[in-house]
Amino acid sequence: MKELSEYNLPEDIKYTKDHEWAKSANDVVTIGINDYAQDQLGEIVFVELPDVGTVFSKGDEFGTVESVKAVSEIYIPISGEVIQINEALDNAPELVNQSCYDAGWLIKITPSDSSQMDSLLNKAAYMDMLKG
Amino acid sequence: MSERLNRDRIIFKDLGLLEYNLALDIQLSALESKLHDPDTADHIFLVEHPPVFTLGKNGGLENLAISQEDLQSKNIQVVQTKRGGNITYHCPGQIVVYPVINLEKRKMGVKEFVYHLEEALIQTVMHFDIQAVRNSLNHGIWVDNCKLGSIGLGIKKNISFHGMALNINPDMEPFSWMNPCGLNGISMTCLKKELEKTRRTHLTISMPQIKDLLKKQLGLILS
Repeated sequence: MKELSEYNLPEDIKYTKDHEWAKSANDVVTIGINDYAQDQLGEIVFVELPDVGTVFSKGDEFGTVESVKAVSEIYIPISGEVIQINEALDNAPELVNQSCYDAGWLIKITPSDSSQMDSLLNKAAYMDMLKG
Repeated sequence: MSERLNRDRIIFKDLGLLEYNLALDIQLSALESKLHDPDTADHIFLVEHPPVFTLGKNGGLENLAISQEDLQSKNIQVVQTKRGGNITYHCPGQIVVYPVINLEKRKMGVKEFVYHLEEALIQTVMHFDIQAVRNSLNHGIWVDNCKLGSIGLGIKKNISFHGMALNINPDMEPFSWMNPCGLNGISMTCLKKELEKTRRTHLTISMPQIKDLLKKQLGLILS
C-alpha cells in the first residue's frame, strides 16, 4: 500500500472528499478522479459518462467507473452543464489509471456558479482529510 | 453499546432461500440506511436464490447462450443489475453474500476490499483442503482454471453492495448456458465437484457450516 505522500496530488487543482478533482480555466471546469482514487480502485475497465448537455447539481452522480469487478459511482464537484466528455475512454479506460489528470480526464462543464470552486478542498485540506 | 462499537460491528443476516429481487430490496434498504446515517452498523447478508441469471452493468446478455423462450419454459429470469462483472447464474446450492460495508470507515479501498473478499472465499474452501487461487484473468477464486467463486460489486458513496457467490453443490447444467464472466472456454466448478475429483466425497457438505466458515472469515478480514 502506498504512503499518502507518494500520491500525485497537484497544487493547482481542487479536490472533493469523494476523490474527484476539478480544474477551472476560462469558464470551463475539467473534472476527473484523482491519483488516490485510481490507485484505490485498481485497473479500470469501463467508464460510463453522461451525455453532453446534461445539467448536474453539485454532488450528483454523473457516471461510474468499473474496476476489479466493482462499479463505483462518481460525483460532480460543482454544478454545471456538461459540454464535453472524454470519448477516448470508451476504448481506453486505462487512461484514467495511467494519466488521471491529463489524458484520463472525464468531463468538462460550464459551471452554473463558479464560486462553488471555493468550497472544494485544496491539496493541504484534501491530504488532511485522507490522514483522517 | 458505544457509538464507536456500533459503527465497527457487522450484523450478519441469513436470508435463507429468497428471490433475487426480494434480496436486492433488502440490501438496497440497508444501503439507504447507511447513506442516511453512515454510523449505522455494517450488514452482511447471506442467501441462496432460486434459479436466476444476472447481468453486470457493463455487459452480460451477449454471453448468454440460451434462448429467451427456453429460459421462460424453465421459469428462469434474467435480471439486469448495477454491479460490476459480467453474466452470472444463481441457484440453490450456491451461497451468495451481500456485504453492505462502509469501506471508508474501515479505511479500505475497493481493490483491497475485493482482495479480502477473495481471501475469505479461499480460506473457506481451504477448510476442505481445496486450494483455490486468484487468477489474473478475472477476479473471483479458481481451481485449475475453473471458477469456484465470483465477485460483482457496486460502490455508492464508499459503501459496498451486491457481492460474491460461492458454488457449493448447485445443479451445474445452467452454468454451461453462459460464458461465465464473459470469458470463452472457461467452466465453472463447485465444492462438491472438487471433492469428487479428489475422492473425498465422504466429507459432509453442510450449508450452515459453510455459511459459518464464511462469516468467520469475513469477520476476520473486516476487523
